[in-house]
Amino acid sequence: MRRRDFVKAIVAVPVAARTMFGQQAAAPQSAATAALPPAAETAPTATHDKGFFDYKAHPIAASVPDGFATTQANFFNKQQMATLRKLCDVLLTPLNGYPGATQAGAPEFIDFLIGASPADRQHMYRAGLDRLNANAEKQFHVPFAQVDAVQADKLIRPWLRIWMPDHPPKERFASFINLAHQDIRTATMNSQAWSIAATATGERAPGIGLYWSPIDPDIQMYV
Amino acid sequence: MAEEKVDVLIIGSGHSGGMAAKVLTEKGISCLMLNAGPVVDFKKDRELKPVYELPYRGFNMPGRLPHVFQANEFNANIWVDEKEVPYTYTPQQSYNWVRVRLFGGRSLFWARQSFRLSDYEFKAKDHDGFGENWPINLADLAPYYSRVEAIFRVRGQADGLPQYPDGNFVVDDSPWSGSMQRFIAAGKKMNVPVCKARNAMGVDGLASSINLLLPDAFATGKLTAVPNVVVRQLTVDKNTGLADGALFVDRHSRREMSVKARVVILAAGCLESTRLLLNSGLENSKGVGLANSSGVLGHYLIDQVYGPGIVCSVPEARDGKATPGLMGGSALVPRFRNITTKSKNFIRGYALNVYSSTRPMDPRNFADYGESLQKKMDSYEGSGFSISMMGEVLAHYDHHVRIDKNVVDAWDIPVLHVDTKYTDNEFKMASDAVDASIAMAEEAGFEVLSKNYDPNPPGYSIHEQGTCRMGDNPKTSVLNKWNQSHDIKNLYVVDASSFVSGGWQNPTMTILALSMRASEHLAEQMQLRNI
Ligand SMILES: Cc1cc2nc3c(=O)[nH]c(=O)nc-3n(C[C@H](O)[C@H](O)[C@H](O)COP(=O)(O)OP(=O)(O)OC[C@H]3O[C@@H](n4cnc5c(N)ncnc54)[C@H](O)[C@@H]3O)c2cc1C
Repeated sequence: MRRRDFVKAIVAVPVAARTMFGQQAAAPQSAATAALPPAAETAPTATHDKGFFDYKAHPIAASVPDGFATTQANFFNKQQMATLRKLCDVLLTPLNGYPGATQAGAPEFIDFLIGASPADRQHMYRAGLDRLNANAEKQFHVPFAQVDAVQADKLIRPWLRIWMPDHPPKERFASFINLAHQDIRTATMNSQAWSIAATATGERAPGIGLYWSPIDPDIQMYV
Repeated sequence: MAEEKVDVLIIGSGHSGGMAAKVLTEKGISCLMLNAGPVVDFKKDRELKPVYELPYRGFNMPGRLPHVFQANEFNANIWVDEKEVPYTYTPQQSYNWVRVRLFGGRSLFWARQSFRLSDYEFKAKDHDGFGENWPINLADLAPYYSRVEAIFRVRGQADGLPQYPDGNFVVDDSPWSGSMQRFIAAGKKMNVPVCKARNAMGVDGLASSINLLLPDAFATGKLTAVPNVVVRQLTVDKNTGLADGALFVDRHSRREMSVKARVVILAAGCLESTRLLLNSGLENSKGVGLANSSGVLGHYLIDQVYGPGIVCSVPEARDGKATPGLMGGSALVPRFRNITTKSKNFIRGYALNVYSSTRPMDPRNFADYGESLQKKMDSYEGSGFSISMMGEVLAHYDHHVRIDKNVVDAWDIPVLHVDTKYTDNEFKMASDAVDASIAMAEEAGFEVLSKNYDPNPPGYSIHEQGTCRMGDNPKTSVLNKWNQSHDIKNLYVVDASSFVSGGWQNPTMTILALSMRASEHLAEQMQLRNI
């Protein structure tokens, strides 16, 4: 009982506000509504209100664009993008019916994500991709985008580290390789393509989480 | 409308404010509670969503909440946004201030680990000569802990250890998993106790002020609660020097308002309470801020060291070979350093949180990629065993907060500047915690996969404490042993800002017990007409 009373008390404001809105024409006026100016000509009539409140929502099957559209990559330069695409191919290939990073659109998504990120993150990525490419040119005389699997392994494996969340490796290039690896995995496993594959393999509710909407956001942030 | 004086004004609706409201209203005292943020509608504000539907595929909006490592794209909207309520810090000394302004505060989201402080914390100075003792001891607080544990339904087991005081528990008689038994045996060999963890079960999965404290207060008819009002400062009667109310701002419209009160209770969540006092007072010879004749307001900021730890694998659980009951469960290693023996290079101690997992491993435990990484992940799945540290941070005068006059929040209220860092004692303790964890895991026959010695930035633990410390001496403390201001007797501060030292223990049980005790003291004083 006590809990229910409380819930009533804390939801009192929105309920009261809704009631006031619905009551404009019909209900006896409270002291507060009596003081309101008369409704303008364009105000919804009681009939409209009634229809509005009786309306039962029909489900709308909404989709996300990733299933049919490609993210336009426009942050990294051509060479950096080619390096990133190759890195995605190498680090996360299609396996056991799940898409690889490329199939999940991870390179383009990461281009978008880093383009929207703070400057230090952007710098780490640009410098990291440039260095990876320079290392490929130096060791194998081809751009990273053209190295074979063995060459790629020689360029990447020495920089892979074991690390714990919030504590990536401290050396700059190792930090780039390991954080990029983490980002590529996340961008892939959180994609719609991955979710479809997981459903197909019988995994239950892949990647489903409890999302909190903005809660009564500050109205002044929008003016 | 003429201002009506309320009996008690409570600022904040979290654990500390909720407890004050419950105790006072049940004693027939009218309370007005002001809270900076909105009320959550659990139905409307949450929904299950696939991660690919989120705008940033679960990465969170880049640059948003840079100091809330606990934030992700699913929960980003529950935390205080640093652009809305910024704070500043000394360069190279980053601070993670993790705040929730919803009605109910952080009580909506806490992880519910529930511990008592022991006399190793209350009387810490007696043990090693550092810092100050609290003006109270465990015996003073024990009856209140018991009542709080009953309300929050704390599950645990009696262990009979002085550094891990027993309580009024819902008895946890669940069996240990096989991997935990091995860890316990390793601990025995090394003289390290491994105990059951203690957690508040709450009711219906929530152990919050909004379901365990405030319903009782509302039921008395004596509580008025107002969400979406940001308190700017407290006001003082110039004639009596007593607190007489507060100025506040409507969160949406920015309408400025004032309220008068006979008594003011600050429960705004440690640093926000201190910020309010600092913003309320004029400069005097000792410093700035209301109730600050001691000059220590804002000083002695502490929290707990989190981050150092290890991840292991239980070999017998690999390749899907775990027998039923081998894996799973959690344990707590209470402080064992500087109890019966003396550590070489640090004082005080740390506890260890221990988890045995049946889930997939984090890929970061393997320096590999592609198919070969996947093979390792498959092989190690369900064999994870992790240990992480919760360490005491020493209270130093110069670890402090002050007002940054150059920066204001969305309501034009000057913000806090945080100036703190970890020192040698914390770093050495962190190092010892990781080495001890490795030694125990190896003794248990586990394979250590990864380790980290570096603490997360101060504040990360979400256990900020101090800055408005209690003590018997008004010259060296802000509050007396009843959480009452030495300077202004109708002003109480009932959150963790009153802490003198923090130990390794998560603070909420102590916050609740202190708030209960302070509120009963206040009710008594009001009845006696001393206030
Ligand atoms: C994810 C997470 C996990 C945690 N896990 C644990 C755990 O396992 N064990 C444990 O003991 N503790 C844990 N904690 C910490 C615990 O939640 C806090 O110690 C406790 O809830 C603090 O309660 P409080 O009432 O002092 O402060 P808060 O909960 O912060 O409440 C303060 C309230 O004051 C209001 N306020 C602030 N400023 C103003 C203002 N100017 N005007 C009006 N109102 C204001 C805020 O809106 C807020 O609602 C955890 C916290 C989090 C977030």
